[in-house]
This record gives sequence, C-alpha cells and structure tokens, in this order.
Amino acid sequence: MVESFLKSKKHVFWEAFLVTIVVFFLGLLIGFALESSRVDEIENYYSESEISLMDMLAFNNLLDNQINCGDLIKANIDFADKIYLEAQVLEDYEDSGKLSESIKISHRKYDLLRTFLWINSIKSLEKCQNNVDVVVYLYEYDTQDLTKIAEQKVWSKVLGDLKSERGDKLILIPIAINTDIITLETMVADFGVLKFPLVIINNNDFIDDISSVEDLEGYLVK
Amino acid sequence: MLDFLTNLYLFYTFVSLYFLTLFILIYFQNRNLLFYSPVFEKELSLSIVIPCYNEADSIGDTIQHHLSADYKGLKKIFVVDDCSKDNSYEIIKKYAKLYPQVIALQTPKNTGCAAGAKNFGAKFVKTDLIGFSDGDSFPKKDAISNMVGFFNDETVGGVTSRVLVRDRNNLLEKLQSVEYKIIAFTRKLLGFVGGIYVTNGPLSIYRKKAFDEVNGFDEKNLTEDIEITWHFVKDNWKVQMSLASLVYTVVPSNLRIWFKQRIRWNVGGIQTIMKYKKSFLEKGMLGSFILPFFGLSWVLAVFGLCVLVYRVFRTIIVRYLSTFYSVQAQTTILRLQDINLSPSILFLFGIFLFVFSLSFNLLALSYSREKDYKGTNPFQVGFFMFFYLLLYPIVLITSSYKFLRGYNKW
Repeated sequence: MVESFLKSKKHVFWEAFLVTIVVFFLGLLIGFALESSRVDEIENYYSESEISLMDMLAFNNLLDNQINCGDLIKANIDFADKIYLEAQVLEDYEDSGKLSESIKISHRKYDLLRTFLWINSIKSLEKCQNNVDVVVYLYEYDTQDLTKIAEQKVWSKVLGDLKSERGDKLILIPIAINTDIITLETMVADFGVLKFPLVIINNNDFIDDISSVEDLEGYLVK
Repeated sequence: MLDFLTNLYLFYTFVSLYFLTLFILIYFQNRNLLFYSPVFEKELSLSIVIPCYNEADSIGDTIQHHLSADYKGLKKIFVVDDCSKDNSYEIIKKYAKLYPQVIALQTPKNTGCAAGAKNFGAKFVKTDLIGFSDGDSFPKKDAISNMVGFFNDETVGGVTSRVLVRDRNNLLEKLQSVEYKIIAFTRKLLGFVGGIYVTNGPLSIYRKKAFDEVNGFDEKNLTEDIEITWHFVKDNWKVQMSLASLVYTVVPSNLRIWFKQRIRWNVGGIQTIMKYKKSFLEKGMLGSFILPFFGLSWVLAVFGLCVLVYRVFRTIIVRYLSTFYSVQAQTTILRLQDINLSPSILFLFGIFLFVFSLSFNLLALSYSREKDYKGTNPFQVGFFMFFYLLLYPIVLITSSYKFLRGYNKW
C-alpha cells in the first residue's frame, strides 16, 4: 500500500507545474485584457479630446481677424476641464497598470495635448482681455524622489481645491515635464526654470514652494 | 519591460501558486488515504525514550499516557533525566518502581540538549523499533499502534505522528493550535510524495537499524528531529506520517517563549540546510525537493520581508512628508478621491492567492476536528493568516542573524 502511495509522486510535481503555468498565464492574460480595456477607454477619451483640440485650434484661426474672446476663452476652459477630468482617470489607471506600457504612451499623448492647450492659452491671453486665470502645473512623471512624490501629492490637492473654488474662472493645466516632448522642453527652457514641481500662474508668476489656496489666490489677478 | 517590483511580485505569486497547487493535487490524489494506517503484519518490539529536563509538572502525565498505549509490542519506556534542577528524577523513579516497563535513567552530566539525552537513552534500547517522545507530550492510546503498521515496508526508516496543542487558553495558544493542525495536514500530504522533512519530537518512531545507521541524533544541531529526518531521506530510508496517531503537546503561552522556541527551530533549520547543502539538486527527495523547498521558503521569506520593510518605510516617509506639506498648505491630509478604485492585476492576484490559501487552510482544519475540543472559529483563522504568519519572516531574519553569530543553545 505504501508503495502505491509513492507511485505517482514524481508526476504530481510536473502536474502542479503545468497547472500553475496554465493558471498563471490565464491570470496574466486577464491582466493584459483588463489593462488593455483601460487603455482603450483612455484612447477613446483621447480621440475625443484630440477632436476638441483641433476644433479649438480651428476656431482660434477662424477668429484671427474677428476675435470673439468670450467664445475662445470658453472653448479653452471646456477643453481644459475635460482633459483635467480625464487626467484623473488616467492617473488611477496608471497606478493600477503593471503589465503593459501602453498607458504610459497615453500619458505622453495627453501631455502633448496639454502642451497645445498651454500654447493656445498663452495666445488667448495675448489676444483677449479676459477674467480667466491660467495655472500651469509642471511636475515630474514617475519620480523616485520621496520629497518630490510628497510635494507633488500635496500640490495636486491644493490645485484641485483651487480649481474647485474658482470653477470656470480658472484653467488648470497639469503637465509632466519629463516625457520627452520637445515643444514642452523648449517652452520650459525658455522660462529658464530648473526646479520642479512648479506652478506657473498666467505665465508670469513662478511658484515652487508649497503654498496654500489662499496664497495662490493672491497671485490670481482676475 | 516590467519593473523590478512587478517582476518580483509575479515571481512570488508563481511560487506560492505552485506550492498551493501541489498540495491541492496531492490532496485530491490521496484524500481517501489520509487517515489510512496499515495493519501491522508482524508485532515489532518497541522501546520509547523520553528525555526530560525540568519537567516535573508534566513528566508523570507523559509516562502515564505511554503506559496506557494499546500497542502490545511496547516493551520498555526509558525516561532519561538530563540532570534536572527540579524533582523530575524523583517522579521518574517513582514510576519506575510502580511499573516494570518504565526504566529511570539519568545522564552523568547535563548534555545541554534533547539530542544528548535521547542518544543516551537509545544506548539501552534493544528492540526492533525505537520511539522518542517529549517530556510534555501526551499520545492518545492508539497513537503508537497506528504508526507501527507503516514499518511493514522494510524501506521505511521513520514514522511520525500528528501533533496538536493541548492547552488553548490564550490567543497565542489558540493560534498555535491552528498552525499545528495545518502543519500536520500539509506534512501528511508531503508524506505521499516522500517529502516529509521532520519527524517531530512529541512522538516519532524509527527502525532501530536505520537509527543506528545514521548514528542517532546530531547533538550539535538545535533541531535534531529535522536533521535525523534529512539524514534518513539522504540514506534512502522512507519517512511516513500517521495522521491517525494523535499526540497532544504543550506550547509556549507567551510571545517571549514562543519567539525563543521559533528562533531555536529556525537556527536548527539553517544548521541542517548548511549541513546538507552539498546535496542540493542531487537526485532523490532531499536534493530535489526538501532542500530546495526549505531553502527557497527561507530565501523568499527573508527577501520578501526586506522588500516589505522597504515599501512600508518608503510609504511612511511619503505619508509623513505629505502630511507635513499638507499642514503647510492648509489642505486636507486625506481625501476620498485618494482611494484608487481601479485595482491592479497584482492586487487581484493577491486576492486570488489569499482566497486559495484560505480555502486550503480551511480544508486542513476540516480534517482536524477533535472530540474534546471546540472547532476553530473564523476569527482565529483570520488572525492566524493576517498577523501570526507575518511574524514569521521576523523570526527568520533574527534566526539568520543568530546563526551567523554562532547561536547554539537550547
């Protein structure tokens, strides 16, 4: 009887190995599928945002000679709000994305979109006398520096609070500066800033020390 | 390219999944044989050796339990006093006077370890089989008779029993009770593939020939019961376990003694790994399973703890700094939006593994119902899985440190 106990002993190690491989890879496939569905969702948002951006740029060109500042600023605000909300979804998915790199590519695309928005908002500010403030938040993507991670967490909260308080009177554009976007790098180099995270208000004021909502409101002129 | 931590998590998941699957497959292939005890074809003669050091409170009860064993081949019970400082030896002598089966022995001087007293007692044994029990262990009446049948197979060198906890008064004892039940179940499963890695101290029986061949217990090793088992397996003696042989034992009732006991077990484990390291990946169960299983568990637990400590430490620093900056910026420290409701696949893997191991543990516990005790309550199982097991890597790291420092005392 004891002999019969041991007959199958070697097979079971291989059987367990095969079952583990099947279950493990099934799990990985589910993981890839889950992350892929999240990327697809982000891609859909992105496509819509891209259309919105094109529309806004076209609108900008159309109105070059007969500027309707109200509509232009409203288009900027709507677009900024849209991609700000999408950025929050993207951030959640990024934190959860472990297997695929696609979500990082989406992040770059969004950063490029936000850079466009920043450029457009600079132009808009030049063209129009308006009562909207533009706050650009430049941060480091995927940093390992613990102080920076903590600072960036707090900056996100403070700027989120500021946006909630000011609503349609504020365009908030968070952009990661280290995602290899040449346009962005050139703009940042033009400003001559080296320390991040950094908040730029109306392309005039540069704040790199953690500040309260009240402090920031002091810089908002409108 | 996946980052280092993701690769590490996936590796841990794979290894844990493999061992859980292995145990489940062994269980399904052998579930009808779990409590099987072969009927002995020949009544082999047996002597039991009980080492004793300062166990006046329990030694009498231990002897009494052995005397009430229903195995007729039990010839002698050698109770070896290792120069106790209490009145253990007087109690042993009293039993020796009352029962001719009981032989009172005393070592010339304290050997400093159970192995010393066991080897001393073994010198007096002339029977086919030699059994060992601790001075605070209490076998059930049929424990021995359920073990002897395994020796029908001439290649079986040792048979071990199922040890459960006798006193379950406080939480620590209750958690150890859960642990012992799960250990007994998994050890039995390992028995089906020849992978038993320890013949426990509370009650194990060896073929005297095999015992002599391996020169008895290694007195330099802190876990002589692990060492002798590995020696048996290395020398191609089979080791079996009888789940039907129930032995109750006394376990540490406070954390300090528990920690000390676990340090000894683990330092002994490392000593054994080092002693047999040359057999690593050699043909046979010792080299191909027991050593890698033990070694891998140890490395993974220690490394896992280091990673965990690093992660926790990092999180604490970030939390501290965030709180500091949040106060500075007069913003909320924690918001509902900070909770990520999109779980990662690694988190889902973790949940799956947890449910899988919980199911396995519950399965193990379902095979450990006892007449005289209440069943294990879910709170104990939860506490065991969430807190008790987390203490183990700390024990392993401390043991490794103590091993390197040459710790070698009981």
